Amino acid sequence: MTVGKSDALLCANAVSYAYQSIPVISDVTVTAKSGDCIGLLGPNGSGKTTLLHLLAGLIAPVSGSVELNGIKLDQLGRRAIARQLALVPQETALVFDYSVSEVALMGRYSHLDTFANETQEDLDIIEQCLLVTGTLDLANRLFSTLSGGEKQRVVIASALAQLMPSSANSIAATDPVLLLDEPTTSLDLRYQLLIAEVLQKLRGQQTVTLVLSTHDLNFAAGLCDQLILLREGKIIASGPTESVLTAEHVRELYGIDADVTNHQKTGRLLVVPIKEA
Amino acid sequence: MNIADGNKLLRCHSRWFFLAITFFLWTAASHLGAQGDISKRIVSIVPAVTEMLFEIGAGEQVVGISSFASYPNDVKSLPRVGALLDPNIERILSLKPDLVVLHNSQTDAIEQMRRGGIEVFLYRHGGISDATEMVRRLGRRTGRTIKAMMVAKQVEVKLQSIRTRVSKYPKPKVLLVLGREPDTIRNVYASGGIGFLNDMVTAAGGINVFAHIQNEAVRPTAEGVLAASPDVIIEIRAEGLLSPTTTSNQPNVWDALSAIPAVQKDRVYFLTGSDLVVPGPRVAKATERLARTLHPSAFK
Amino acid sequence: MPTGLNHPKAAFSYRSYSTLIALGLAAVSICAIGPIIGPTPINWRAVFDRTIPFAENVDAQIFFIARLPRSIAGALVGAALASAGVVLQALFRNPLATPFTLGVSSGASLGALLVVIIGAPLAISGLPAVPLASFAGAVGAISIVYVLARSRRQGLSTSILLLSGVTLNSLFSAIIMFVQYLADYTESFQAVRYLMGNLDVSSYTPIVWALPLLIVAGIGFSWLPRALNLLTLGSTGAAARGVNVLQTQRIAFLSASLATGAAVSLGGPIGFVGIIVPHIVRLLLGSDHRLVLPASAFAGAAFLVTCDVAARTLMSPLELPVGVITAILGGPFFLWLLVRSK
Repeated sequence: MTVGKSDALLCANAVSYAYQSIPVISDVTVTAKSGDCIGLLGPNGSGKTTLLHLLAGLIAPVSGSVELNGIKLDQLGRRAIARQLALVPQETALVFDYSVSEVALMGRYSHLDTFANETQEDLDIIEQCLLVTGTLDLANRLFSTLSGGEKQRVVIASALAQLMPSSANSIAATDPVLLLDEPTTSLDLRYQLLIAEVLQKLRGQQTVTLVLSTHDLNFAAGLCDQLILLREGKIIASGPTESVLTAEHVRELYGIDADVTNHQKTGRLLVVPIKEA
Repeated sequence: MNIADGNKLLRCHSRWFFLAITFFLWTAASHLGAQGDISKRIVSIVPAVTEMLFEIGAGEQVVGISSFASYPNDVKSLPRVGALLDPNIERILSLKPDLVVLHNSQTDAIEQMRRGGIEVFLYRHGGISDATEMVRRLGRRTGRTIKAMMVAKQVEVKLQSIRTRVSKYPKPKVLLVLGREPDTIRNVYASGGIGFLNDMVTAAGGINVFAHIQNEAVRPTAEGVLAASPDVIIEIRAEGLLSPTTTSNQPNVWDALSAIPAVQKDRVYFLTGSDLVVPGPRVAKATERLARTLHPSAFK
Repeated sequence: MPTGLNHPKAAFSYRSYSTLIALGLAAVSICAIGPIIGPTPINWRAVFDRTIPFAENVDAQIFFIARLPRSIAGALVGAALASAGVVLQALFRNPLATPFTLGVSSGASLGALLVVIIGAPLAISGLPAVPLASFAGAVGAISIVYVLARSRRQGLSTSILLLSGVTLNSLFSAIIMFVQYLADYTESFQAVRYLMGNLDVSSYTPIVWALPLLIVAGIGFSWLPRALNLLTLGSTGAAARGVNVLQTQRIAFLSASLATGAAVSLGGPIGFVGIIVPHIVRLLLGSDHRLVLPASAFAGAAFLVTCDVAARTLMSPLELPVGVITAILGGPFFLWLLVRSK
């Protein structure tokens, strides 16, 4: 990938991370430009979640650095990072029950002072975000009563609300980044489609840069324009989807023989597993 | 002197002579008869009973004592077998006793002694009269009947003399404090209307403010003390961790309740000594201490 | 899109403020009733009669020395324990966490009992030894737990906090048992009664000493509510939304421990307030900590004062320890919670 570093919105430069002296990520470089949609692919334990957490600044790399708009993350405050970069975790389980609106409003935390309360502007923002993700009609329901797909969409709405600029803050997030950790795992087909639609809409309308990790090769193929293949914490391939998503790479990554073709109706790549390699 | 007078004299004397013989035979019999029932190796877990045993001269028959026994001095060299909450059964048995004095609430220990075929002497906390009665009982068990009777009688006589001395003085209301949190009047632990402490107060010429509470101990709150309005406050402690100098150095915590007569008239006293808290043969001496505190003018 | 019906409700509005004000007034009223009730009939005119010198006015002394400080202490202890309960339940993301989970109360009890049983007079400028030693014990426990939980590189580990707290509880309880064993009969009895809680402070000094601690804890509490809301999402979710999780955990832990230590030094280890009150408040008012935290403080104050009144009057003239009343209410409450959560 020959992209100048200065163009990069969010990039991880040769980051490594180890947990209790077991290497999890080794010398990984990820560069996301504004408007990109990057998919992280890899088997369980390949370090996808850790990489996302490194990109979000939740954990500090053992070596290398992560930069947002050219500034190292450890030099930015948590709130400053949060206003430009949101992470949707794999699962959201609440110990205490909140309404959908309250969960969405949690995304506005970084825009408010400690002792300030949400204003009408914040309420309007979350209304819009819930609308975009198709969950506005759930606004006053309790989060725990929702289905998995509805919960995920609410959390995405909350993350969106986090990225929306507010008049109170002069630092406008011109280039919001949304990180998603396996957004469609454990969702049924309908919700997978809906989430894909939401994410497409975000890319298009709101110019949100996306980095997501997933198991689902077809989902990634349909949504992402770039792919990064991770295996045991190392990148084995990265680049545009068409050149990365090949049968050889699939074999290398998952150890299975698969057929990679172009789907007629949608024009997207389709991966069909055949047998063990 | 004529014959009629002489006969009368003889009859008088013979009555006494007859009585003397009977008494002698009876005492001898009780001694002889009790020979088989005299306990020679006594373990006493109750300090009060230990004191009684020594007082009636049966000290040599005591082979084991409570961890908390401190009087008389002879006990210091005796093996200790635990106390109310933690009697050490092994140690007790190792001393090969033929009589073990236990609190009547120590059901486990009692059961174990019975199973071992060892005789048990049950002690129950009670009033002064229970204590003197116990002295007499111990006398019979240890073959010291006469000495025991004397000891018990001495206590009773002394108590009676105290009562008489103070009888003509008006009886003050007394709060007898057995314990509280240091430096404060929280968690006050006072004597109720039952038990030897209450008896001591009464014999010493006072009225226990909590005499109407049918319990040995009372935990009054500040409100309770204010409502009881005692004329005299006496705090008693056994010797041990709290030395007499410590108590005198403590600021008078009762000043906080200045509306009670005891504080206004400056009649708050601290007394220490194991004789005050052990219902044993020294109870009369302890009562005298109380009486001297309550009615100093009676003892001038 | 039917926006009218499903317009998101404002999270924390004037309605919430008025709820809090109403709760606050209710709590103050209930606490004000506390000193009025008691086993001794009082001549109310005499209480406020300035012509009678205070040093001789029994009725005034009953009210101002015996009853009023007691109610104030009850309100403060109740508020402190309830608030600490709310914060710790959010910190541990566990509805069963109580202020006594962290070993703070057993540390405080150990300090107090050492003084009660050894009887050392350590009064410092009017503050009696027991509250002082109690607080020292609390601080000791807090420090140990904090140091243990901090040893991981990644900030404050809540699981280690919990484990250290539980372990410390067991350790201190064992030492307490040992110390009780060394005591004589009277002292043992005192120790047992201490552990049941006692609000009869009969002096304003312990309250005055506890106030600064409670105020500091209160400042910490006031900083926390929204962060605690977000903490419900997990530390990843909260951090991703911009919460400084480590700082939040530290403030939560320290202020809850401070409040608990102050409460125990004032009234002994009174259990169940820290779990009953937060739960009922959450049940009635939802989960937003901006509402739940202050509401629990008010409710805790009213609750404990009421329990204390019950303790004084149920078996009059005998007095039950207040910890017994809270336990009688708390035991079945716990069971109900368990059954409900199935």
